[in-house]
Amino acid sequence: MSGACGLGRGVTIAAFALLLVSGPALAQTGRAVTQGPVSKSAGTCGTCHPSERVQHEKSAHADEGVTCVSCHGGNDATLDKAAAHGAGYRGRITKSEEPKLCASCHSDESRMRPYDLPVDQWALYETSGHGKALAKGDTRVAVCSSCHGAHEIRAASDPASPTFVTNIPRTCGTCHGDAKLMGATPHKGMVYPEYMTSIHAQELLTRGNRQAPTCVNCHGVHGATPPAVGDVGKVCAHCHTAERRYFASGPHGTKLAKAGLSECASCHSDHAIQAALPARLDTVCSVCHGADSNEAKLGRTMLTDYRGADKELERAAAIIAKADAVPVRTEDYQARLEEGRTLLREALPAAHSVNPALVKTFTSRAQSVGHEIQAEIQHKLDDLRWRKIGLLLFWFYVVLTLLVLRRFREQGAREI
Amino acid sequence: MSTERAPRHGWVEWLEGRMRLTELFSFFTHFGLVYTPIDTTRPMREVIRLLGSQRIPRYDRWPHVLGPLMAVLFGLEVFTGLLLSYYYQPSSGDAFASARTIVRDLPFGWFLHQMHTWGSYALVAVVALRLLRLFWDGLWRAPREVLWCSAVAATWLALQADFTGRLLVWDTHSYWSVVRGLEVVFALPVAGPLLSFLLGGRVITDHLLIRFYILHIVVLPLLFAATMYATFATLRRVGLSAPEGRTVPTTTHREYLFSLVRFNLVLFAGLVTLAVLAPLPFFGIADPYTTPANVRPPWYMLSPWLISEKLPVPVWLTGSVLLAIAIAVLLMPLWARGKGIAEERRIRLAGTLLLAVWVALTVAGALVGRK
Repeated sequence: MSGACGLGRGVTIAAFALLLVSGPALAQTGRAVTQGPVSKSAGTCGTCHPSERVQHEKSAHADEGVTCVSCHGGNDATLDKAAAHGAGYRGRITKSEEPKLCASCHSDESRMRPYDLPVDQWALYETSGHGKALAKGDTRVAVCSSCHGAHEIRAASDPASPTFVTNIPRTCGTCHGDAKLMGATPHKGMVYPEYMTSIHAQELLTRGNRQAPTCVNCHGVHGATPPAVGDVGKVCAHCHTAERRYFASGPHGTKLAKAGLSECASCHSDHAIQAALPARLDTVCSVCHGADSNEAKLGRTMLTDYRGADKELERAAAIIAKADAVPVRTEDYQARLEEGRTLLREALPAAHSVNPALVKTFTSRAQSVGHEIQAEIQHKLDDLRWRKIGLLLFWFYVVLTLLVLRRFREQGAREI
Repeated sequence: MSTERAPRHGWVEWLEGRMRLTELFSFFTHFGLVYTPIDTTRPMREVIRLLGSQRIPRYDRWPHVLGPLMAVLFGLEVFTGLLLSYYYQPSSGDAFASARTIVRDLPFGWFLHQMHTWGSYALVAVVALRLLRLFWDGLWRAPREVLWCSAVAATWLALQADFTGRLLVWDTHSYWSVVRGLEVVFALPVAGPLLSFLLGGRVITDHLLIRFYILHIVVLPLLFAATMYATFATLRRVGLSAPEGRTVPTTTHREYLFSLVRFNLVLFAGLVTLAVLAPLPFFGIADPYTTPANVRPPWYMLSPWLISEKLPVPVWLTGSVLLAIAIAVLLMPLWARGKGIAEERRIRLAGTLLLAVWVALTVAGALVGRK
């Protein structure tokens, strides 16, 4: 019994005590514990560290032969504590040594190639806010295990992983939503609750749109850094390309940059970004320019144009539905309606140029498409009145036939 | 009026020099338009004149007109249905698109479809009214038991034709009303599993659609034609169906034919008017995963629907009672044989009560849950 680790010895003694009083049936239990249940991924380490074993067994590492000793060193083939924690044993990994340890495999191209994983995470991490602070000795920052977990490391494609796309906001929010931990930063831990109110979070978490941006789409993944004020627009333009193009063409493009204001966040805020509904055109200009200013009027003009076109397209959709119930062929008009809607959709990015004439090129085209659809379908529906005119002619013929029949009948009756 | 006429030399005589017109014409005596044998040795004009002056029972008066109406409406359904079938494709993938092609893209396709649909409504109403009339006049007794059974069968067949035809359009309303109807049918003890086997399963698929299609365009019309033949044959055998003790109105054959043509013309004009002024709407394609709100059965099924929908009565019970009533009505000549005025009155009263309950439930079913 000598050399078994503490827990094993305790159980063995208890088993022997039971064996003495209860007979040979329990001998089996005693022997099994003495030999130690060997875990495939955790080796004998799991005997004394069961919760770590359980976590590790769920990880992607366990499937690929990364064992306890791969990171912690030591010997996972013995139950002798001294031998297990002997030569090369590293024990608990400290935060400051962790990135380098993970990188010993994850920066090795020949090891990562089979998994199609990138190998630049460590290099990126060192450029990140986290990495720079860690280099200065600040161990409160996130290291690899803060986001990926220590033992239960799952692939980012696994929905149970904290780095799965829909889990990312919560993972980042663990620290960045903590007001105490983030007290010294400019956003004071509000960034996570603010993001959760945004249209981006709503798209991602409520509607399940995985194309919607999480924290990492703007800030980077391993090289996570807040974009500089002047770079916010470039970050937003990853997705909102047309908005940025129109914005740059307008007067705001140069003037905001000179004033040191962020081109997108000045109106849309940074994290609590709300749905950019057309109705904003009514209010957003007056935030800087005053309610009665000419600029506010420009906003209202653009809104009026937009709404006019929108209403026209709605009417077109309604008359298409009406024609479908007759039915009248409407496929062409449905395609035209989509065309009109696309034009109208372009009017919203175009409004970033704050040039009503430019916006009007889209709204007036959308409006005329809607108008044409209505006119042409109405024309088709009006053609149906020929059915009623035909009915009148038909009744005329019926009455005529009845009269002729009557005449024949009288004539025939006379003959007979 | 002169009785002697100079011999005429028109196209009839020209044709008669080459063909045995009267022989050909006598062929029609099999179809009920001419009720008596004709002398095939005489010339055509004379035969027609003689026939025209013959006195025959009037079928162009209420309620006898219901029989000819049934025949004419059936003819209309066959004709319009035949034209519709040229473009219809009975598969779940193509059914809706082909139906839409007919009503939307083909010239007068909408008209054919509307006439077919309105005609089917009219046919169901006519066969039902005819059944009531035969019941009221006590015409279910021998020697007209065949007439009664064929009238009941015609009513069944008209309802089945309406039910099967409903599915063919494959729009959301037709699809879901058939789903609901089949739930009742398949819930029947014994008959339910048998029917679900014959119809290719309990789920509405291509298998069911093709069976409904064959039933609708081949089996049911043939059976319906057979009931009409039985009706004509019975009439030839036992004469016009009038209640006992009443005289049958008669008229000349010529008068009768004129009157019938006039009547059918007005009926046809009425249907055309409905088709143009009250077209039945065309709904979107059936979606097996989305039940539309407010699906209702056709008007003649509103009362059983109301019972199974709003009362805690299991569907199989409603269906079984309905089936039992239908069979009891069909076999009425077997179990209700009593004669005499008291008996007659009792049967009439029972029938009227049953009908009143049915009508009341139908009205309630039409009103309940309507916004």
